[in-house]
Amino acid sequence: MPGTIDFQLLEKIDSIELSRRNKRWREAMKASGWKVSTDRERWTVKSWKETEGEDLQLRRAKLLKCVLDNIEINIHPFDEIVGRPTPWVIGCQTAIDCCGDYIPGIWDDSGSFAATLDATVSISSEGLNVLRESAKLFGEQSLPAMTYKAWEELVGGWAKDVEAAKLKDPSLDSVITGQSTSVLSWKKILRVGLRGYIDECKRHIDEYIAAKGTDIDKIYFWQSAVIVLQAVIDHAHRYAALAEDMAAKEADAEQKAHLLKIAEVCRYVPENPARNLREALQSMQFCNLAKMLENPIQNNCHWGRADQYLYDYFVNDLKNGVPLEEIASMLADLIGRWGTQTFIASSTQKESHQINFGINNVMIGGLDKNREDCSNELSYLFLHLIALLQLSSPTVGLRWNRKTPDWIMRKAIRTNLATRGGIPLFENDEVLIASFMRDGIPFEEAVEWVGLGCVYPCLPTRAEHYGAEGVAAINLAGILHLTLHNGIDINGKQSGLKTGDPRNFKSFDELYEAFLTQYKYLCHRVFWLGGVARDMGHKYLRLPLLSILGIEASMELGQDLLKPHPDYSMFGISDRAIIDVADSMTALKKLVFESKALSMAEMMEALDSNFAGERGEEIRQLCLRQPKYGNDLPEADELVKKVSADSAAIINSYDNSPFRKFIISREGLAWHYYGGLGVGALPNGRKALEPLNDGSLSPMRGVDKNGPTAVLRSACHACFDAVSYVAVLNQKFSSSIIASEESIEKLIAYTNAYMNSNGSHIQYNILDTEQLKDAKKHPDSYKDLIVRIGGFSAYFVQLSPEIQDDVIYRSEFNL
Amino acid sequence: MITNIQGYSIHDGPGIRTVVFFKGCPLRCQWCANPENLSADKQIGYLKNLCHGCGRCMKACRYAAIMPGDGYRIARDKCVSCGECAEACYYGALVRYGEEKTAEETFEQVLKDKMFYDSSGGGVTASGGEPLLYADFVCELFRLCRNAAIDTCIETCGWAPREAVEKALHVTDHFYYDLKLMDPVLHRKYTGCDNERILGNARYLAEHGADILFRQPLIPGVNDTDDNIRRTAEFMLSLGPGASRIQLMPFHRAGKTKYDALEMTFIAEGLKPDTAERIEAVRERYIAYGVDCSISK
Repeated sequence: MPGTIDFQLLEKIDSIELSRRNKRWREAMKASGWKVSTDRERWTVKSWKETEGEDLQLRRAKLLKCVLDNIEINIHPFDEIVGRPTPWVIGCQTAIDCCGDYIPGIWDDSGSFAATLDATVSISSEGLNVLRESAKLFGEQSLPAMTYKAWEELVGGWAKDVEAAKLKDPSLDSVITGQSTSVLSWKKILRVGLRGYIDECKRHIDEYIAAKGTDIDKIYFWQSAVIVLQAVIDHAHRYAALAEDMAAKEADAEQKAHLLKIAEVCRYVPENPARNLREALQSMQFCNLAKMLENPIQNNCHWGRADQYLYDYFVNDLKNGVPLEEIASMLADLIGRWGTQTFIASSTQKESHQINFGINNVMIGGLDKNREDCSNELSYLFLHLIALLQLSSPTVGLRWNRKTPDWIMRKAIRTNLATRGGIPLFENDEVLIASFMRDGIPFEEAVEWVGLGCVYPCLPTRAEHYGAEGVAAINLAGILHLTLHNGIDINGKQSGLKTGDPRNFKSFDELYEAFLTQYKYLCHRVFWLGGVARDMGHKYLRLPLLSILGIEASMELGQDLLKPHPDYSMFGISDRAIIDVADSMTALKKLVFESKALSMAEMMEALDSNFAGERGEEIRQLCLRQPKYGNDLPEADELVKKVSADSAAIINSYDNSPFRKFIISREGLAWHYYGGLGVGALPNGRKALEPLNDGSLSPMRGVDKNGPTAVLRSACHACFDAVSYVAVLNQKFSSSIIASEESIEKLIAYTNAYMNSNGSHIQYNILDTEQLKDAKKHPDSYKDLIVRIGGFSAYFVQLSPEIQDDVIYRSEFNL
Repeated sequence: MITNIQGYSIHDGPGIRTVVFFKGCPLRCQWCANPENLSADKQIGYLKNLCHGCGRCMKACRYAAIMPGDGYRIARDKCVSCGECAEACYYGALVRYGEEKTAEETFEQVLKDKMFYDSSGGGVTASGGEPLLYADFVCELFRLCRNAAIDTCIETCGWAPREAVEKALHVTDHFYYDLKLMDPVLHRKYTGCDNERILGNARYLAEHGADILFRQPLIPGVNDTDDNIRRTAEFMLSLGPGASRIQLMPFHRAGKTKYDALEMTFIAEGLKPDTAERIEAVRERYIAYGVDCSISK
C-alpha cells in the first residue's frame, strides 16, 4: 500500500549480494553438462505394468506415487532448499509416458541423442533400453499418437502437412497438454498444507457417497488426489531421512546444523501449513518437483504473484530476526533452481522455442482487489536477486498500472540495464484486466491474472488450454504465402484452398479477400482439430496432482483438468505475423495495384526466385522502401489495424460451444524464427525462410527510421488492445540510452506514456557487446539503432568503424 | 533549413524532447561534432562504410557529379544537392543533409510526441547549427508550442543579433547557452568569431530573468585551462544567481564520420579526449569557484 513502504529496507536490499551458497550453486551449475536421467521412466514402466486393467485416473496416480517413492534423490552441499528431479545439480527426466515416442534418436545405437538445439547427451545402453521399453509400452497408445490417428480419420494427411509448413503450432508431440494452470494454487497450498487437501478430498468422497452420487469418476478423482498428495508428503520425508543421515556423518558443525534444519523442515512441509519463509519455499519446491515428475514437460515452475502471497512470511521473518541475507539466499536458491530447469523437448518444440530451459514466470506488483498497486519490498527483492543471478529464466513481468510507484519502476529499469534488457518486461495491468472483464470474468478474479510462459496472461483459477490441443499459433504470413500460391504451401502441399492464381487478381480487394478466405479455411479447420484433441486428452492421460494443486475447481468438481469444463476452461490463440502481412499487403497495394511499378507476374517471379539476380534485388529494395509500420505513417498503420481486426473477427466467428470462445493473445517469444521457416519471400522485402518480425507489434527489423517514439505511435494506431490481450513490442536500445540516473527517469516517463495510451506490453532489449558487433557487420538489420555519445546522437550504422568500436567498448563497461 | 527532427532526445533539455536541428552556423569551432550543420545549404554526404559499390548513384545523378574513386567521390562543384543519388541508394550510403520546412509543418511533426512530453516534463528543443539564424521560424514554432502547452528550449552559441535574442526570450522556457572561451583572441582563433556579442547576449538574457544552463564543450588544451575556467566562473558569477549552472561536454571524435562524408577537414581530429579523472578535476575547479557544474553523459 502506498505510504507504507520501508525505504530503508529497500536501501539494504540494494546492497545485498549473492550468498556463499548461491555462488557455489552457480559454479556447480556452470561446471555441469547436460544430463538426462532415465530413472523416472524406469518406475513409470514398472508401475504401468503392475496396474494394468485399472482405471486410468488411479493408474496415473499410482504411477506418480511409484516414481516419488523410488526415484533417486540427493542433497547438495550448497542447497538452501532441497529437492531436484534428478540427483544432479541440473538434469531432467524423460516423459515418454506422456509424450509417446518423442525423443529423436533412441532407436539408433549411437548412444547419444540431441537434447537441445546445441547439446547432445550420451546415454548408457542400459538407459537406452529403459527408454525403448517405455516407448514400446506407451508409444502407440500415448495421447499424441492417438490424437494424430483421430485427426487422420478426419482430414487425412492435412493435419501433418499444416504442421510441416509451420502454418500452425505446436505439434502434438510437444505435449504441453495440461500446460493449463502451471501456476499452482500457492496461497491455498501454503495456508492449508497437503494434509488439508487430503482431508478435503476425503470429506468430498464421504459426502458424495452419502448423497448417493453415482459418478464413479468423481470418486476416482478424489482418490487419485489422495494418493498423489500423500506420495508428495512421503517424498519430502525421504529427503528428511536423507538429511538426517547426512547430518550424522557431517563433520562441519555449521553444515550439520543446516542439514538438521532441512530435515526438520521436510518433516513438516508440504504436509502442514508453512510457518515461515523457509517452510513456504520448501513446500513450494516439493509441489513443483512432484508436478515435474508427474509430467516432465510440465517443467515450468511458475511463481505467479509471489511478491503477494509470500509477503507476510517475508515481513514476519524479518520481524523475528531472520537476517535479510538469509532470506535473500533462500529466495535466490529457488529462483535459480526454477530458472534452470531443463527438459527434453520434441524436435519441433526445440525449433519453435529455441531454449534449453523451461520458461517460468514471476509477476511483480500490480493492482489488488481494492484497486491499489501492491508493489512491496519483496517485489523489490525479487528484481534485485534476478539482476544478481543473470539467468534467461524466469521471465519477470511488472504489472504496470497508473498507480505503479516510481521506486519500483526505477528498480525495474535498473534491472533491465543489469540484465541487458528484457527483465522485467512491462505488461499493462489495466488493459489485461479490462480484456478479461470484456470476456465476462469478474474483476476480483481478473485482477489475479499472471503471466504464463513469456507474456501469455492466464488466471490461476482457470484451466488454460493454450497450445495444449496443438493450437497456439496461427501463422498469418504462412497464410499470405498460401494466398500468393493458390493454396500451395512452402512444401508444395495443397494445405490451403484454391483461391486462384494471384496474377489474375484484378484489384487489391480481390487479393485481400483471397487472403481472408484462406485464413478462414485454415483457422476453422485448425480449431476443429483442436476440439478433437481436447476430447482425446482425458481418454489417454490424467494429471491428478496438477489438477488438485493447480485448479481449485477440480476439488469441487471431482474432475481432472484434462477433462475440460465449460465454466473453468480457457482457450487461447495467438494470431501471429500480422505486421509481416500488413507491410507485405501495403507493398503489393502500392507497387502492383496503385503505381503499377510492377506487375503481379514480376512480383511473383521475384518472390519465387527469392529476389535472385540484379532485377530481383532491385525489386526487393523497392519492396523495402514502401511505407512500413513503425514510422507513424497512417497508410501503413491503417492496414495493420485492418489485418488485426479482420484476424480477430475470423477467430471470434468460430463457435467453440459449449466452451468459451478463443481468447486472442499475441505473444511471440522466439517463434519468429520457427514461423519464418514456413514462409517464402514476402513483398515486404523479407527473404524466404528468414525470421519473421519478432514479438507481435515490433516493426520489421531496420525499417523504423523515425525514432522510438514513432514506433510507439504506430503501435497505438494499430489498436491491438481492442482485440488482443497482449501485443508484444520489443525495442532495442544501446546501453548509452539509459546510462545515467536522469535517463532512467526518462525511460520511465517513456514507458508510462505508452502504457497510458493503452500499450499492452513493452520490453527493452539493451544491446550487448556482441549485438553491437553484429550491427557493425550487418548494418542493414540495424538501421534504426541510435547511440548517444556525450550528448551527441547518431545512427550507429552511420558511424565510422573506429567510432563504432568505441561505442562497442563503452557498452562493454556500461559507460 | 532543417537537417533533422529527432524524437526521444534525452540530453537536450528537461524530460523527453524532440530536437529540431537547424542547418547553418556563424561559428566554425574546430571541434564541432555536427559539421553537417555548419553550412546553411543542402549537402550530400557519402558514408563509405555503408557503400556496396553498386553504382546506382552514378546512374541516378543527372549532373555527372558522382565518380569512382575510393568507393565514390562527389564533385562538389557539380553537385546541386538535389538528393536523387540518396534516393537511388539502397544502403543509405548517400545522405542528403537539409530540408526546407515551414514552422507549421515542423510544429505538426513535433506535436505528435506530446504524450511523451507530458509524461516526462519534456518538450521541443531548437538546436543546430545555430537556431537563432532562423529566429522568426523558431519564434513562430515556439509560439505554436506554447499554445499547445509544450515546453521550449534553445541550444545556442549565442552569436546572434540582439533583436533575435530579444524575440526568442519571450517564447523560450530554457536556454542552453554555450560558453566556449572567455579570451576574445583565443575565441576568434578557435571559432572564427569574437565572443563579445556572445557574452553580451548572455548578460542580456540573465538580466531579463531567462532560465539559462551554460554549456562548455571541454576541449583539451584549448578551454580547460586554469585561466579559462576562472574567467568563465567569474563571468557567470557576475550575472547573478539565476545563471550559475554550467554543464561540461567532454570532447569526442564521433563527428569524424560526418566530416569524412562531407569531405571536410576535422581540425581537432588529432586531439585526445580527456580522461574521466581530468574532466572531474575541471568540474571540481568550477565548484570551488562557487559555480554549479555538472558533466554531460
